[in-house]
Amino acid sequence: NPESPVVHLGSNFTAVCVLKEDCMDYFHVNANFIVWKMSHFTIPKEQYTIINKTAASVTLTDVASLNIQLTCNILTFGQIEQNIYGITLISGLPPEKPKNLNCIVNEGRKMMCYWDPGRETYLETNFTLKSEWATEKFADCKTKRDTPTSCTVDYSPVYFVNMEVWVEAENALGKVTSDHINFDPVDKVKPNAPHNLSVSNSEELSSILKLTWINSNIKNVIRLKYDIQYRTKGASAWSQIPPEDTASTRSSFTVQDLKPFTEYVFRIRCMKEDGKGFWSDWSEEASGITYEDRPSKAPSFWYKIDPSHTHGYRSVQLMWKTLPPFEANGKILGYEVTLTRWKSRLQNYTVNDSKLTVNLTNDRYIATLTARNAVGRSAASVLTIPACDFQASHPVMDLKAFPKDNMLWVEWTTPSKSPNKYILEWCVLSDKSPCIPDWQQEDGTVYRTYIRAPSKGPTVRTKKVGKNEAVLEWDQLPVDVQNGFIRNYTIFYRTNIGNETAVNVDSSHTEYTLSSLTSDTLYMVRMAAYTDEGGKDGPEFTFTTPKFAQGEIEAIVVPVCLAFLLTTLLGVLFCFNKRDLIKKHIWPNVPDPSKSHIAQWSPHTPPRHNFNSKDQMYSDGNFTDVSVVEIEANDKKPFPEDLKSLELFKKEKVSTEGHSSGIGGSSCMSSSRPSISSSDENESAQNTSSTVQYSTVVHSGYRHQVPSVQVFSRSESTQPLLDSEERPEDLQLVDNVDGSDGILPRQQYFKQNCSQHETSPDISHFERSNQVSSVNEEDFIRLKQQQISGISQSCGSGQMKMFQEVSAADAFGPGTEGQGERFKTAEMEAVLDEGMPKSYLPQTVRQGGYMPQ
Amino acid sequence: MKVLAAGVVPLLLVLHWKHGAGSPLPITPVNATCATRHPCHSNLMSQIRNQLAQLNSSANALFILYYTAQGEPFPNNLDKLCGPNVTDFPPFHANGTEKAKLVELYRVIAYLGASLGNITRDQKLLNPNALSLHSKLNTTADVMRGLLSNVLCRLCSKYHVAHVDVTYGPDTSGKDVFQKKKLGCQLLGKYKQVIAVVAQAF
Repeated sequence: NPESPVVHLGSNFTAVCVLKEDCMDYFHVNANFIVWKMSHFTIPKEQYTIINKTAASVTLTDVASLNIQLTCNILTFGQIEQNIYGITLISGLPPEKPKNLNCIVNEGRKMMCYWDPGRETYLETNFTLKSEWATEKFADCKTKRDTPTSCTVDYSPVYFVNMEVWVEAENALGKVTSDHINFDPVDKVKPNAPHNLSVSNSEELSSILKLTWINSNIKNVIRLKYDIQYRTKGASAWSQIPPEDTASTRSSFTVQDLKPFTEYVFRIRCMKEDGKGFWSDWSEEASGITYEDRPSKAPSFWYKIDPSHTHGYRSVQLMWKTLPPFEANGKILGYEVTLTRWKSRLQNYTVNDSKLTVNLTNDRYIATLTARNAVGRSAASVLTIPACDFQASHPVMDLKAFPKDNMLWVEWTTPSKSPNKYILEWCVLSDKSPCIPDWQQEDGTVYRTYIRAPSKGPTVRTKKVGKNEAVLEWDQLPVDVQNGFIRNYTIFYRTNIGNETAVNVDSSHTEYTLSSLTSDTLYMVRMAAYTDEGGKDGPEFTFTTPKFAQGEIEAIVVPVCLAFLLTTLLGVLFCFNKRDLIKKHIWPNVPDPSKSHIAQWSPHTPPRHNFNSKDQMYSDGNFTDVSVVEIEANDKKPFPEDLKSLELFKKEKVSTEGHSSGIGGSSCMSSSRPSISSSDENESAQNTSSTVQYSTVVHSGYRHQVPSVQVFSRSESTQPLLDSEERPEDLQLVDNVDGSDGILPRQQYFKQNCSQHETSPDISHFERSNQVSSVNEEDFIRLKQQQISGISQSCGSGQMKMFQEVSAADAFGPGTEGQGERFKTAEMEAVLDEGMPKSYLPQTVRQGGYMPQ
Repeated sequence: MKVLAAGVVPLLLVLHWKHGAGSPLPITPVNATCATRHPCHSNLMSQIRNQLAQLNSSANALFILYYTAQGEPFPNNLDKLCGPNVTDFPPFHANGTEKAKLVELYRVIAYLGASLGNITRDQKLLNPNALSLHSKLNTTADVMRGLLSNVLCRLCSKYHVAHVDVTYGPDTSGKDVFQKKKLGCQLLGKYKQVIAVVAQAF
């Protein structure tokens, strides 16, 4: 029993299920209990055949399904269905004999053969392409799964040796071989297309264009013939050069009988000269313009006389129709008009416009008109302008107009004497527009015509404007304004300063691409529609080509932005890495007002207030009479020395009339409180200040002079204090203190009862230190000063009433008593120790007053 | 070194000489079968002419391409280095019968084909970047292979000649680089000269 038998689609199939006898006894079953199922559906018992006790078969007739799952099942114990065995039936068809075997040799590539595989087999079918010379065999070419109908051989084709090729198709149901084909690979060649096709015109002949091209290398092996097609630019239908003219190997050809000054597009292909093999692909198209020829027709010519007579003269407007391009045969450079009165030559006019107004006498005139282009002149149109008193002897009679076939026909009775030509004048009668006469010229032999020229020109617009090209589009003229069959359109376009260029477009088109335009230039474009009888210009349209092509700006801007971003990022990274260096060189150290302390009020008044409201730490608001100085463990100077320096300040305060201001300076001015407030009050005043306020004392005196009037002013600014330059004399005092103080403690807590009185400094020491002018470390000095200021402030409050009064009213607001003050200088100390650049330092002290920054 | 290549597939040397020594025209035994895989086409002579023309039209370009690719001193010493001084080259008599010419042509092309194989092998080693030369050598070798098939078919189908004794040129595998280049150049010079004569003869 095959696991997956493959059967012919539509054939019969019989399966037999045999039971093992030991199982039969165990389950109490026999062949009668067998149930056949096909794809889960039970097969009717009628299709079963009980062969014997152990075997039963089923026959499937006309197998139609491609995949059938057939299972043999048994009802054990009479009711429980159990599967015994199953197979998958695969049905399909044997392969048909491959037909239409053919091969192609694309030049420069390997040979590919293809065939018709025949009917669907529903089975996996392998196709093998076999090939051989008479003397040797080539390797088989096995098809790929996705291309079962073609195969490309592995070997390079050898020309001029016949080979035999056939295909074998094989699947589970059979194998079949196609007919053998025997051929020379050179007869199956598809050459590469001729390339570098170029077109050149001839100044001698305006009706020819010469094509040149480069043949593919196959020309070294085989002779070629060609197929050359051409069309006017804008047309859709191709014309063909007679094949017999291009039946041999060549690399140039001259196309004749072309229209002058017309752009033609060409393409070419080639194949083996004897016609065996395949045509190459078409070459790329190439275009060329035939040279100009003189205008082939005289322009239609007519006149209009102004009815007003003046002094025996009459104003006559001569007018003519511009020649359509297929008659102009080039760019019309101008028109030449001659006027002859009787037989004497009167005057020549050269006109660029299509009309000319002249003043003529009442005599008869003969006017001639020729159009001129670069090559020559057209034939002359002759027009007789009759004398003023002329009466037409043979007028046109029975003029009738009637619509027919969507055209307006005009019919008349020809005069008895045959005229040279007719001029038909008409205008549109409309309530909306005045009667503007138009006219057309008819041959003298006709007696009926229709109004042919379009009454409107097409309105052109741009569909898409690119940097160097513009796609123009227009609507087909409505039938009622076509007045005939539109033969072609002409697009005229020009720049402000450039010459006008005309392009002819087939009447079937409604779109045209102007190429080779200049970027960022204003173009004016208009279109004319031409029937056989003439044309009409549409309105002019202007457009400007963009300076940049689509995406060009993005191509510039995006990299620039990226570069900018990258530069910025690098700059930021650089700044981040070198922030210390940059900070040092670019911006000055800005003291943090939140860490500032009032250093000194006057040259003679040691700084008293040196605290920061934000930094104040009130570790215990209930300090009263106890003064505690905490000194960090790394202090080198003994504690008594610090106290000594504090005493120095106290002495100084005593010796100078301190005019101070500070935080809460204005309240100082307004305060009526006596000078009995304690330092605790001062502390509480600072503690209540949420913003840093700076008070300025304008000292009316100078240096050691005692001002007659104390002036206080208060700055409400919250601007950080800048670290101003200090004069050496400003620092002398501090330097002295420094010398006596040594290394400062990291933290000092002062309680406001000045319990350090016993460490009062020596005044003489202070005076001596005041003479020192050299300042080594400005920041260091400031810090010392700041600390000392704080000390002196707190101590001074208990020493001198006057000073105390000022400090109490000045620095501390009323009602904030009983609060301990804590001066925290840890940060500044750290700066000192490490010798870091100045930053967040207290204000400088100037002699003569507090110097705001 | 002349090598007798009897038994070399597919070019078997047959030692049945119709004429005396020096006459290379072979004879197929009367009862020998001249079997081909399928019947030979009728326009064999036309195809042979086309193949010879194809070889002749490309021989000079191959020669130039070869000595140019070798570099100096070859391009400026063509007479000395690339003169057609190939001993052992099979003779060709343009005024012989068609059968004789075909047999001689077979020998010439077999000799050239084998030599071209050597040159191609050497050049792939000596000038691995001269892809244009490799391509042209391969194309020429392919055309020669097809020409041999056609000649054999013609000899077999018309003249019942199933085997032709052939000779091969010297093996260049043991020679130094310069000798390889020189022998190749001489061979291609000889090929250019001979193929013009042979193409003219058919």
